[in-house]
Amino acid sequence: MTKSIYKTVLRRAEAVDAVAVNRVVLEIGILRDFIPEIVQKYWDYIAVDGIAKGAKIEIRELDARVACGQCGQEYDVGREQIQDPRCPSCGYAWGTLLAGNELRIAGIEIERNHTQTENTEER
Amino acid sequence: MKDIAYIDLKQCILEDNEHLADEVRTLAREKKFFLWNIMSSPGAGKTTFILDVIRRMKDTLRIGVIEGDIESMVDARKMQQMGVSTVQLRTGGDCHLDAAMIRKALQALPLDELDLVIIENIGNLVCPAEFDLGADLPSMLLSVPEGDDKALKYPLMFSVVKALIVTKTDAVSLFDFDFEALHDNARRLNDKLDIFHVSAKTGDGMESFCTWLQGKIENKKY
Repeated sequence: MTKSIYKTVLRRAEAVDAVAVNRVVLEIGILRDFIPEIVQKYWDYIAVDGIAKGAKIEIRELDARVACGQCGQEYDVGREQIQDPRCPSCGYAWGTLLAGNELRIAGIEIERNHTQTENTEER
Repeated sequence: MKDIAYIDLKQCILEDNEHLADEVRTLAREKKFFLWNIMSSPGAGKTTFILDVIRRMKDTLRIGVIEGDIESMVDARKMQQMGVSTVQLRTGGDCHLDAAMIRKALQALPLDELDLVIIENIGNLVCPAEFDLGADLPSMLLSVPEGDDKALKYPLMFSVVKALIVTKTDAVSLFDFDFEALHDNARRLNDKLDIFHVSAKTGDGMESFCTWLQGKIENKKY
């Protein structure tokens, strides 16, 4: 998984002529088992050289969203409530998961050489 | 001088896998077969359960099997002995199957001659849940000795499956397994989950499961 993130980041960074990637921001649903320290460890293992070496992995956790199986109300569920995500309106215990599985790269912070306008055109 | 810039990507990490899973779904529609993914922890009884399903359904359905294992050909040989077309996928360390592996394995099966393709995933309750394989029926087994609290520990797995099959019910007298607690926990994030109790050893519950599966296969729209 980290390799897949690495490849995407590298491709997107190279496309804009980045000389370094400082930060990779991930948005991860709370149902995914993503531990920031582990992802960072894999990243440092994969990115041994090149522009993405030393990039910091930042994970933003996204709450789950559930539709109540009884009254249909949609509500957010944080990590603390995930074991017992009861409907806040009717108290019903069962529902359908609508979100909470997200796994995406939100963005990257990169460095680029300052572009200088040079006239290299030959007459 | 250097510029620092933040670039918004909003890109799904498993995008490639999702495209490939869609390709598998399209292939299954074109070739008219039903794809069934079976996940569980190691030792929950996947192979024994699949062998019993094949024994009960092979006269009415043409069945193929994709066997996923980290190592060995043991399970594939058992399937072949039942006379079904089998492909062994050895991941060589990877703890899950992904859609690319399934697409490749399907190429090795006589798809025009099959009604049902069963995927026996790698024994693991975490990673296999992360990867959509394009299956019509993602399902999981949970054996009685594993305990009734697993839905609390592996919520992603219990939320991505459409069927939960509790196996080894013949051993229930040896364990404090609370079926009601399991149902309650499993449906917290998945209220439409179908739950079955079976013992492949005694045959309890197997017939009603196979009847339900037969209905799912017949109702698939091509």
